[in-house]
Amino acid sequence: MSAWDYTHEHCELKSAIMHRRRAAAAVVTALCLSSLCLSSLCLSSGEARAAGFATAPSGDSVGSATGLAGPATGLAGPATGLAGPATGLAGPAGLRATVFGTPPEDIAPMPAAVPLLEIDAKMPWALQTPTVLWFDRQLRVWFSAQPHPAPLAIVIAGTGADGNAASVATLRGALYGAGYHVLTFPSPTFPRFIVSTSRTGVAGDLQQDGEDLYDAMVRIVRHLPHHPEITAIDVLGYSLGAAHAGIVKSIDARKGELHIRRAVMIEPPVSLFASMARLDALFLSSIGTGEAGIERLYERLFAQLANFYRAANSLQIDQSDILGAATAVLTTDQEFSAAIALTFRLDLMNVFFAGDLYAKTGVLFNPGSPPRVGQPLDAIERRLRATPFSAYLDRVFFPYYLAHRPHATRASLVADNRLDIIRDELQTNQDYYVQTNRDDLILDAEELDWLKRTLGSRIVVYDHGGHLGNLGGRAQIADMLAMLAGQWHGNAP
Amino acid sequence: MRTGWMAVIGTFGLAAGCATDGIATHRLPAATPAADVADAIQKADAVARAKQQVKSEQATGEAPPPLTPADAPPITTYDPFERVNRFTYRFNARFDAAIFLPVANGYGRLPSPLRTGVHNFFDNLREIDTMVNYTIQGRLGRGVRSFGRFVINSTIGIGGLFDFATRLHVIAVPTGFGTTLASWGLHPGPYLIIPLLGPSTLREGVGLLGDYGLSYGVNIANLYRDDQSYALGVVDAVDQRSQVSFRYYSTGSPFEYDNIRFLYVRKLLIQDAALHEHAVPERPRSDQPAGK
Repeated sequence: MSAWDYTHEHCELKSAIMHRRRAAAAVVTALCLSSLCLSSLCLSSGEARAAGFATAPSGDSVGSATGLAGPATGLAGPATGLAGPATGLAGPAGLRATVFGTPPEDIAPMPAAVPLLEIDAKMPWALQTPTVLWFDRQLRVWFSAQPHPAPLAIVIAGTGADGNAASVATLRGALYGAGYHVLTFPSPTFPRFIVSTSRTGVAGDLQQDGEDLYDAMVRIVRHLPHHPEITAIDVLGYSLGAAHAGIVKSIDARKGELHIRRAVMIEPPVSLFASMARLDALFLSSIGTGEAGIERLYERLFAQLANFYRAANSLQIDQSDILGAATAVLTTDQEFSAAIALTFRLDLMNVFFAGDLYAKTGVLFNPGSPPRVGQPLDAIERRLRATPFSAYLDRVFFPYYLAHRPHATRASLVADNRLDIIRDELQTNQDYYVQTNRDDLILDAEELDWLKRTLGSRIVVYDHGGHLGNLGGRAQIADMLAMLAGQWHGNAP
Repeated sequence: MRTGWMAVIGTFGLAAGCATDGIATHRLPAATPAADVADAIQKADAVARAKQQVKSEQATGEAPPPLTPADAPPITTYDPFERVNRFTYRFNARFDAAIFLPVANGYGRLPSPLRTGVHNFFDNLREIDTMVNYTIQGRLGRGVRSFGRFVINSTIGIGGLFDFATRLHVIAVPTGFGTTLASWGLHPGPYLIIPLLGPSTLREGVGLLGDYGLSYGVNIANLYRDDQSYALGVVDAVDQRSQVSFRYYSTGSPFEYDNIRFLYVRKLLIQDAALHEHAVPERPRSDQPAGK
């Protein structure tokens, strides 16, 4: 072989290798380039869930923050206090507000930029992670630090939502804009919290969830990056997170590790199980029982959304907005109710799944052979979709706590999940505040009265908003900031 | 030598976050609540206009024949490769967490005008594919609009760095070969998780290959066949990732795979239904999962 031949062959080979490498790299990157498939998921989560289609990537929704409670399922009937309509105090306007949320033009002024740190933390007391939930091993919280000494506001999300959900992000924006460091936590009913932080794996008990949450807060506040200077600590939450905020402050009064100054509870449930009973009843009345009701709802919503999208297709607008606006096709009270009830049900499915896994109650799977990573879960999902909260209480929650808590009875467990357990603090401690709505669907008239009587001048009751349909609105934010700053002098209208 | 190893370990330490006491922190691009609210107002406006359009079409009788609940595809989804797909989903999640997302987050901290320029540049390149696909779909009006956008942005917009066309109310409505296949009546086919990229279906996967083939064939400004083309592809991928807020396993739910499969395929099917504006699409068979 001549030197020339060798060089020529070498060059050809090099060219071929180069070409192949380029082709391989180009195929990979060009696939990304031409359309990153993930971006196709623009059927945005909250909206999709509100339309009752599926759970959301971001884990937040209007109906999700509804308080974990149980049906009247014969479980200590009168103690749950379920009387009156399944929609609580909400009329048609309350239902609409619950589904659509605060109109964006009514949102309080927000800062242009909020720095964001994501903190993943292992809790030393965590239970062994079930292999099928391997991705939930660490608690994830978010922190936004001010560049100067400032008070720290800790925000707790509502049912099934994580610490970066849309409602939490709204509160974070408002709080950061008002000069707070902000630390946001998921709800103790969020799967990642249950797996990474719960000492029982069986979510829904106010006191136990509050203890787990408090200990996680202590651990994370002590390890905050760059040791920001914190002048005081306030805690706040919405919906079920509001109840947790109250409990956490009362635990702190006993343990004294954080010295929490004030707690603002935004639209809390009074009886967790009664609120949940309402949502079960709402599901029954708007969707029906079993998978057939859900399929009918799905088919109706699919047709409506497809018709809307087809008609809007001729408009010269960004079509991803249209498909994201699944709530736009909801028109009747029954559809609003169905969206709220189903959204909540989808959150409950995760709680039920984890609870059965940890409590080894054997409802969904044989405790001896739990589901494996990668195993199809369609059958379990279908079954859970049609399962009310009452079944979680009856078959997982009560059996577990009756076995693990000495002297507990069903009636005592129901009673322990009312805000009554911190009634004295709520009544006498001037640092607890409540914001709620006259047409909130997780409350009935008696519960609203109880809140007004207990809090006195430290409650504000808005006329409209349904459940969380005014969160982030100008009035709600202004009052919340005044309460946190100890400058609230209003009174219940 | 020792310094070199320290540097390597330090770099990996930084990449993995600063882990102490089982607590790791990752800096994310700053949240932009004010812009998010402005965006939400704009979206609400688009939806209101669409609603108005639907109303007026219904009033004038121009509305296409409506779909009924019986036209909805079954609630189950066609996923014959489920086990492989679930494996790929987990692989993607780990790749995303370890490499793709940290890089995209780093990119997200660059000055906004720079990122917007990069994003506009790649969007502008995609207009060629959009234009060709609209043409073969027979939607010539849209093809002309796409061509108009390309000309405006490539000239006044300095090679696509600025999106002047949108300011002139010539907005982007991208399409691709996957949609072209759909317009020819092809069903989405089996659900597919593509390595590194995520949710797709067989039809959409073929569509992506078609789109890439077209870009490679046209090879505008020799951007796709040069030795450094893959670097350009990487920048585009990172830019795209930084635009998408999706996080693997952020729902924490054991049903995340199922839920995303459901959403993704329903979204495709709704878009498919809209491609045939004046006819009711073929009624799905109730004994077959959606997508088949």
